[in-house]
Amino acid sequence: MRRLGPSALAIAGVVAIGLPFLLKPFGVYLISMWAVLTIAAIGLNLTLGYAGQVSMAQGAFVGIGAYTVALLTAAGWPFFVAFILGGALCFVIGWLLGYPALRVQHHYLAFVTLAFNTLVFLVLRNEEWLTRGSYGIAGTDRPSLFGFSTDNARAFYFVCLAILVLLSAATWWMMRSPWGRAFVALRENPIRALSLGLDTRRYTLMAFALGSTLGGLAGGLYAPLVQFIEPGSFSLNMSFNLLLMVIVGGSGRFFGPFVGALIAVLLPEWMRIAEGYYLIVYAMLVMVLMVFCPTGVLGLFEKAFRPKKAPPPAPATLKAEVTR
Amino acid sequence: MLRTGLLVSLVAAGIGLAGTAHAQQKTVYMPAILELSGAGAVSGTNFRDGMLMAIDEINKAGGILGHKIETPVLDTQSDAGTSRAQLQKVLDNNPYVVFGPVFSGSVLVTQLMTLKAEIPEIVGGEAAAITQKNNAYVFRTSFGQQFSMPKIANYIHDSIKAKSVAVVWVNNDFGKGGRDNFTKEMKDRGINIAADISTEVGQADFSADVVKLKGANADAVFVYLNEEESARFLKEAKKQGIKAPLIGETTLLGQKVIDLAGGAAEGVQGHVGLTVDAPIKAVQDFAAKFKQRFNYVCDHNGIKGYTGVYFVKYVTEKIGKFDSKAFAEKAHGITITPKDEPGILMEAMWDKNGDIDRESFLGEVVDGKQKIVKTLPMLSKK
Repeated sequence: MRRLGPSALAIAGVVAIGLPFLLKPFGVYLISMWAVLTIAAIGLNLTLGYAGQVSMAQGAFVGIGAYTVALLTAAGWPFFVAFILGGALCFVIGWLLGYPALRVQHHYLAFVTLAFNTLVFLVLRNEEWLTRGSYGIAGTDRPSLFGFSTDNARAFYFVCLAILVLLSAATWWMMRSPWGRAFVALRENPIRALSLGLDTRRYTLMAFALGSTLGGLAGGLYAPLVQFIEPGSFSLNMSFNLLLMVIVGGSGRFFGPFVGALIAVLLPEWMRIAEGYYLIVYAMLVMVLMVFCPTGVLGLFEKAFRPKKAPPPAPATLKAEVTR
Repeated sequence: MLRTGLLVSLVAAGIGLAGTAHAQQKTVYMPAILELSGAGAVSGTNFRDGMLMAIDEINKAGGILGHKIETPVLDTQSDAGTSRAQLQKVLDNNPYVVFGPVFSGSVLVTQLMTLKAEIPEIVGGEAAAITQKNNAYVFRTSFGQQFSMPKIANYIHDSIKAKSVAVVWVNNDFGKGGRDNFTKEMKDRGINIAADISTEVGQADFSADVVKLKGANADAVFVYLNEEESARFLKEAKKQGIKAPLIGETTLLGQKVIDLAGGAAEGVQGHVGLTVDAPIKAVQDFAAKFKQRFNYVCDHNGIKGYTGVYFVKYVTEKIGKFDSKAFAEKAHGITITPKDEPGILMEAMWDKNGDIDRESFLGEVVDGKQKIVKTLPMLSKK
């Protein structure tokens, strides 16, 4: 990141602001979706990439946030109140989901979170009195800001972008605070972290809660972006897709989710030139990517741009022998 | 910098910066967004192939008002969110009409956008809710559940004379809509619902559901599932020796289900909104041409796609121009007979909500084929 420097960030900022003025509504919709999914992927990166807690439930948190906003705004609540409540609800549920992580790890934890995702899907589908079940909820309104409607695709993109920038900055700050270092310590060596006096229990729960909150906030934008939500949208597929974004982008790297979401949203669209084979081509490209760069796209970049180290000096005795 | 520039141009190309090529002379842009992958692939592929047949025929004969039809087909992956994105993509290019989707959930999300854009949408979805939203731009190609379920209910009441019935349905917007309409019709006729069994999309194992069904001991079983699940259910029902008549609505008696279920579909009965086995020569000729071209037996979705294109052709020729608003106005209340437009295959009428009315059939599976036993008149002609 330091090597890329502020100039790369400035270029990315100019592109992010200027692009919607060059695009048709479909393009604006896609980059809005990228912004929304990036927020959810940042959350998962926090839980999985930094804190090392395997979570397959991020899609469920996106769903909880989306339904909270859709139901509350339909009941007349202001969008931003509903949006924050959605995030807060996910914080609480994420904290509770963190408790199993205190007892099980790795693939066992993956199964626990996977079961949670299925549970949320079933609640969304079966509790019809609350969620309208399989029929879904259509027409969630986009918010108004200071009297200006964001119903227009471009205006709503800027809402998504602004929230993405805010949440990214907050995450950036947090990862450089003692909390961030505690998360990394938790991932690298929890026993050593504990022996150094780190409250690993609290940080595990916090990693889940914060990651889930970002998922919920992403969901709060997903509902007014798509303007139709149904339980099927938040099944395991969504969680797998978010996991793919984190891994492909570069797990544990700050900009990994940005790149991963870009690939997951845009690559299938590019591949549509392959017509009936586009999903096969997409899947194969992802597999090839993972084979050749298991550390994700950013890992590949880091490897490519890492300055070559000078070979270590030969031991003195060997040097002497060579001289002789 | 060059690398960044290249990346930006690649991204821009991927999200639609590049100009579109459809604006050629003498073509009319009528895109389709259909389920070509995922749970709805069987339905979407049939709909697409039916459409392509009609488009080729029309284009060979000179097109519509001298314009060749240009129909790119975009895959929705059977997902409502993807359908919405793909519809946005085609709306950016000012279509005259849009075909699809077939899945009702996808129609419910896309119809809000076509209403806003004032572009007619010719859909394959059957959920009752689609035409109950005062949307002047949505038109069906088959019966909505609010029309098909009373017909199946009459059949169960009058022909099967059942006093109790078990319902097996797929728990998505299609299945839930069908189940809700069906149970209401049953209650209206005083027929008891002995078991109400919901199943999952893509479910592979129906053994527990069939056990439950046996325990209910109903006089008849109404099965309302998607194609592949219908076939799996029928196999399990046969294995466990279900004796009660298995009744379905269109899908259960479809050739695809019969083929997948093998002998297990034998004896299945029910109402069929559209079928290539209809005792109508035009339909049978269409089925033969379809089989010859695509090498498989067309199901009701293929007929929906085929007749949907001819519906657009006829209405457009009536208004004499490519005007989406005028199309929507003219299409409400229009009746098209095969004499007016042979490609419509059967007389059809679209009401003020965009619902379609045409003859339908009672059928039964005999020797691995759907056999039509009775033709039911159009609702408006009763």
